[in-house]
Amino acid sequence: MLARYVVRRAVASIPVVFGVTLITFTLLHATSGAFVPGLELNPNLRPADIIRIRNNLGLNDPLPLQYWHWIAGAWPPSFHCSGGLICGDFGRSLVDGSPVRDHILERLPNTLELTITAILLGVLISIPLGVVGALRRGSVIDNFFTFLSVAGVSIPSFWLALLLILLFSVSFHAWGLPWLPSGGAVNSFEGGDPIDRLTHLILPASCLAFVYIAIWSRFTRSSMLETLSQDYVRTARAKGMSERRVTYLHALRNSLVPLVTLIGLELPGLVSGGAIIEIVFSWPGVGRLALERALQYDYTMVLGLTTFIALLVVIGNLLADVLYGLLDPRIRYA
Amino acid sequence: MSREEAPGEEGFREFEDFLKHWSRRDFVKRMGIGAAYTAFLAGGVEFMEACANAGTGNPTTVTPKKGGHLTEGTISDIKTLNPVLTSDTASSEIVGLLYDSLLNLTANGDLRPLLAKALPQTSSDGLTYTVTLRDNIKWTDGSPITADDVKMTYDFMFDPQYKDVNSPRRGDLEQYVKSITVKDAKTIVFTLKSVYAPFAVNQLQYGILPKKLWGSLAPKEVNTTDMNTGPTVTSGVFKFQKWDKGQQVTLARNDGYWQGAPYLDTFIYKVVADSVAIGNQLKTGEIDYGQIDPSQFSDLSAQSSLSVVTFPVAIFTFYAYNQNSTAKVAQMFSDKAVRQALLYALDRQGMADALYFKQAVVATSSMPPISWAYNKDAKPQYPHDPAKANSMLDAAGWAKGSDGIRAKGGQKLSFTMITNAGNKVRENSLVAMQDAWKQIGVDATPKLITFPQLVAQITNDRSYDVFLVGFSWSAEPDQSALWHSRNTAPGGFNGFSYKSSAMDKILDDAVATLDQNKRKQLYFQMQDILNDEVPAPILVFNKGIWGINKRVQGMTGGDFGLGTYTQFQNKAWMRTTFVSDGK
Repeated sequence: MLARYVVRRAVASIPVVFGVTLITFTLLHATSGAFVPGLELNPNLRPADIIRIRNNLGLNDPLPLQYWHWIAGAWPPSFHCSGGLICGDFGRSLVDGSPVRDHILERLPNTLELTITAILLGVLISIPLGVVGALRRGSVIDNFFTFLSVAGVSIPSFWLALLLILLFSVSFHAWGLPWLPSGGAVNSFEGGDPIDRLTHLILPASCLAFVYIAIWSRFTRSSMLETLSQDYVRTARAKGMSERRVTYLHALRNSLVPLVTLIGLELPGLVSGGAIIEIVFSWPGVGRLALERALQYDYTMVLGLTTFIALLVVIGNLLADVLYGLLDPRIRYA
Repeated sequence: MSREEAPGEEGFREFEDFLKHWSRRDFVKRMGIGAAYTAFLAGGVEFMEACANAGTGNPTTVTPKKGGHLTEGTISDIKTLNPVLTSDTASSEIVGLLYDSLLNLTANGDLRPLLAKALPQTSSDGLTYTVTLRDNIKWTDGSPITADDVKMTYDFMFDPQYKDVNSPRRGDLEQYVKSITVKDAKTIVFTLKSVYAPFAVNQLQYGILPKKLWGSLAPKEVNTTDMNTGPTVTSGVFKFQKWDKGQQVTLARNDGYWQGAPYLDTFIYKVVADSVAIGNQLKTGEIDYGQIDPSQFSDLSAQSSLSVVTFPVAIFTFYAYNQNSTAKVAQMFSDKAVRQALLYALDRQGMADALYFKQAVVATSSMPPISWAYNKDAKPQYPHDPAKANSMLDAAGWAKGSDGIRAKGGQKLSFTMITNAGNKVRENSLVAMQDAWKQIGVDATPKLITFPQLVAQITNDRSYDVFLVGFSWSAEPDQSALWHSRNTAPGGFNGFSYKSSAMDKILDDAVATLDQNKRKQLYFQMQDILNDEVPAPILVFNKGIWGINKRVQGMTGGDFGLGTYTQFQNKAWMRTTFVSDGK
């Protein structure tokens, strides 16, 4: 039953993914400006060279043919794999001619390292903050957390990032204190060991987590407050259960269910969520790649990345649907 | 021109290195202060260093140390490591360290032989260039570099069967070169279709690829081979180690380098977010040197761990009046008085001081002042003179209307100006221009677009009124790319459609003249015409500004130190550079 459902959903997802590619392709080519080999205005680059290279890259072909090339590689179609999406290389970059897949695989671990750390930090810090806020509603500490989360939502993350770099990196270095690296994922010279990676991770991950903490702690707080006013909490108290048990066993567990949904929504953000932070901290991740290449009009790279993220969303949704069914027997697969 | 080197002069070269570190001025200074010289010999290195640092950069007064690493901070990652394909500065920088070319330039732009034994021998009719290779040049696998390697590399960019190679150099080579032939293992002959003076500077500086590995590739494979991202056999001062995309390129010392191995173990080309990040990482020591913005000059100069080096460059910022017959502003801008008056109205010195923090030089002609073809007396000049601008426009019949905007025959002196968003100096330049022109009754509105859109506007669409952008000249004074009417064709950079048969003739004659003095006269004429016509006035020439950690030594000064023509593609100083702490 479940297997059939999964297969059917997977098959039904194929048109969705192709729809995404088609829309992205159309939008990209509808914008003004175009990919120019050698973006810098170079006096030795001749008009004839630009035209020839664009021809070689197939950029002067009719749009449907260009789309087909990206999907299936060569025309006419052949039986051996000649590149393209269906062969799994997600197209080849216009800028450097290498498969988009390789770029993604190279950058993905860095991005996941950053976003997963940030989400973990977010969860570990926001839940206690929310619980304390709810239990001590209206107290000084609650007001302070409220202030923090309003600040977290309203402070632009790139600005916070710049300030953190200025303080913990540049100023700490100037004051002779232990300082944190101002950017990158590893030390450029003899870097890459776990300690080195960790020190590079602290600033960007905290910066990204700050926003999560701000949102999720508010969410936990209001959800917790709502649960604490439920009848079964009163019943538990009436039974003489200790306040600690009431809070952590009954109220917290139930109030976390909506939060899990909210965190689940961040899953596609695992790949794309930290783009701004990645840029400010020179973090070699997927988000920064996407932005850099979009600015260069590297159509195939942007298409490949969009499709990859679309695939993640589709798979994420499918997983969520399956998990709901496992958690809640009332949901049936039909 | 630069000196020629005879083979087998290893000992002499060491002596040259010694002289290079001791620039002439320092040397004279030292001769004068004999006591200090004695102190230096006795080990008073720091004293001498203090004296020398009164100049620029980090002159070498310490015995070079072997080992350690050097990290350059950059804002753009490389795209390819294939010298046949590079068209961006970042890639060319790394390619230049991996693959030697036949010739390269000194800091001042003089040609010098690299893989070639001497500068090319030119036949009396100026049509053939014979290049003889050195005897001691070899690939990193130990095999010699031969004329066949050179031939194959140029075939990728020139031979019709390699049209599928996405080389940006084909157009130029096809235009001027008739044939490329191997005479013997060490000799290669380039035969041109017509005399073309810029040939050696423009076309003989491409990195040479090893035929053994590349010769069997089909044309399309040259675009996509793994060697474009991880070359295995190279010839330059460093060997390729790894490229972590979006992070850094790491190179290692080439112990067998024909000029002698560099001092450094490792060179790292580290990609960071922007110039602010370069400044930060210079301060923390995460990078050793990097190009910085004019706005950072004073802040970084004040850092005790850094020295800041500046020098003139041939990079400039200019704006252009759209004179395409189809443009709605064509009629307005075809009036020379309007073009000149608008330039008189600009306070370019004020812009250089405020927007470039004094790190730019107001252009007095289209030629950079560092060029041998620069005419310092080009006429007319355009000092800031709003009164003159007003009277010129009055005289040309552009009268102020009730709204304060000038108009003539129902057409208002009103237009938009485009540049690329994100480049603060360019954005602010447009604002300064808007303000200055408002004072003389001209309504100009800035509009920001993306860089590819801007390029498309300049080279193809051409529906703008005025654009502002940066451009750069090579060491060659030929300026056909902007001023020749053939480059008004789609794709060309003369996107403002400046057409003058007199100008075309001067440009064509100049590239067909080998006598440098005669060429110079032609370029002097060119500069006078351009100063009179002002089809696309140059605002300022920029300066190259580099922040360098004081632990880096042997990088600046002399013919091969960091300078105008040795800052990017050609880092001739890399072999003599070392880090004083050896780390």
